[in-house]
Amino acid sequence: MALWQRLNARRLDLPLAGDGSGRYLPWIIAVMVYLSALGGLGLIVLSDTLSEWGRDLTATLTLQVPASSSAARLETVLGLLRATKAVTAVRLIEPAETARLLEPWLGNTVSIESLPLPRLIDLQVDPDARIDFALLRQRVASVVPGAQLEDHRLWLDRLRNFTVKLESVIAAIVVMIAAATVLTVVFAARTGLAIHHPIVEILHLLGARDQYIAGQFQHRALWLGLRGGAFGALAGAVTVLVLIPAAAGLQLPLRIAPHGIADVRLWLLLVLLPPAAGLVSMLTARLTVLRRLARMP
Amino acid sequence: MVTLENIGKRYDTGSEVLRDVSLNLEPGSFHFLTGASGAGKSTLLKILYLAEQQSRGVLNLFGTDVAVADRQVLAALRRRIGVVLQDFRLVPHLSVRENVALPLRIAGTPERQIDDNVGELLNWVGLADKMEARPATLSGGEQQRTAVARAIIGSPELLIADEPTGSVDDELAVTLVRLFERMNQLGATVVIATHNIDFVRRFAHARFHIEAGVLSGPLLP
Repeated sequence: MALWQRLNARRLDLPLAGDGSGRYLPWIIAVMVYLSALGGLGLIVLSDTLSEWGRDLTATLTLQVPASSSAARLETVLGLLRATKAVTAVRLIEPAETARLLEPWLGNTVSIESLPLPRLIDLQVDPDARIDFALLRQRVASVVPGAQLEDHRLWLDRLRNFTVKLESVIAAIVVMIAAATVLTVVFAARTGLAIHHPIVEILHLLGARDQYIAGQFQHRALWLGLRGGAFGALAGAVTVLVLIPAAAGLQLPLRIAPHGIADVRLWLLLVLLPPAAGLVSMLTARLTVLRRLARMP
Repeated sequence: MVTLENIGKRYDTGSEVLRDVSLNLEPGSFHFLTGASGAGKSTLLKILYLAEQQSRGVLNLFGTDVAVADRQVLAALRRRIGVVLQDFRLVPHLSVRENVALPLRIAGTPERQIDDNVGELLNWVGLADKMEARPATLSGGEQQRTAVARAIIGSPELLIADEPTGSVDDELAVTLVRLFERMNQLGATVVIATHNIDFVRRFAHARFHIEAGVLSGPLLP
């Protein structure tokens, strides 16, 4: 009760609510928080997706055997692979399954049987084992000339490098958004201070400490930041609920956002953003006003 | 209680508006400060109530050298001073009650005590029926009494009024002086600045006179 009375009393001294200096602040903060939420959500989803792909692909190799290869050569190469130390499982992919994998690109009007499709052999390897790929390729080629062993690690590494850069860009964007939010609050606080300068002078004359005057601005900024942050987080939640199930609906061979909307971190981020926006607004307003007041005698 | 030694004040690169002002105000004293417009009265008062800093010299207020005091100490010193300015400087969006309560709120006084003290004081200055009125709806005399109530609510040790005859007629200015005299009897030190020497002669108090930034006195009534 005493705290509420103090807050209430603070609000009475300066008519900040009706001065227009913070009228658009909640909307600007809402947009900033929404963009930050997208950035944060993007980082989480990107990181998870890459980890998932990495887990799947570092343990997998694909051998393409030319369509013209005989069944005997196919059996020989299967035997060779099974005898290879680091290979934990070997599976010959049936033509029907190959056709199903190609269907998204070729459609269902093309007769798969009429195409000279290579036979695919899916290899599971021990992710911790060191495999001499050059030797394995050489041995496979000696049995089936023209066979191609695809190691996903190479392009996965390139993808990982690209993702690190992408994550850095997203992080930089989030920092810039935070900086823009701070500048907006600084501008609003300075405007409010200029509008209410005569009253601030009276409070100063009556013996108000700088913290007392700054407290009124920070109280207002906290409220505006929380309100804007809540709107932004709400928009972020709607985006999560729309986009992530849509990504799952793509039914790609490798999943995007593997944890889906049940990922606690996504919601934790959205819950934490409004208080963070309120806190940043509050501290920015406080420091801005204190710096200005320090110029008074 | 209040000591000024060789105070000088200069704005930017202009000439000095106060020159070697020295004075000593004993606790419980009552002084007028007279001088023509532009003589330096308001500047001297601003230095006294800590709205401006002197360019040189020493101001010792309640035993504290203000030149070396930090901002917290300066704020605490201001709370020991009550000021009534010519234009009253009431906060327009606050009611009479809230305006008068401001010094106590700033000092962190409990709300119940604020309500009691403000009610009692407004009754004393004859504004009990105007508690919820906004300053814009008050007459000049009522605004002045509100400003006086705000100045004395915190029982200040030093009371200052700048040109009390400036915004109201002489009769109301006399009322202010009478209120200040009652506060003086309770122990407050009082300084009232005015250009109107005829007005000052109606009271039996010593005065300082300032001319072109140079202070003389105290001159006995």
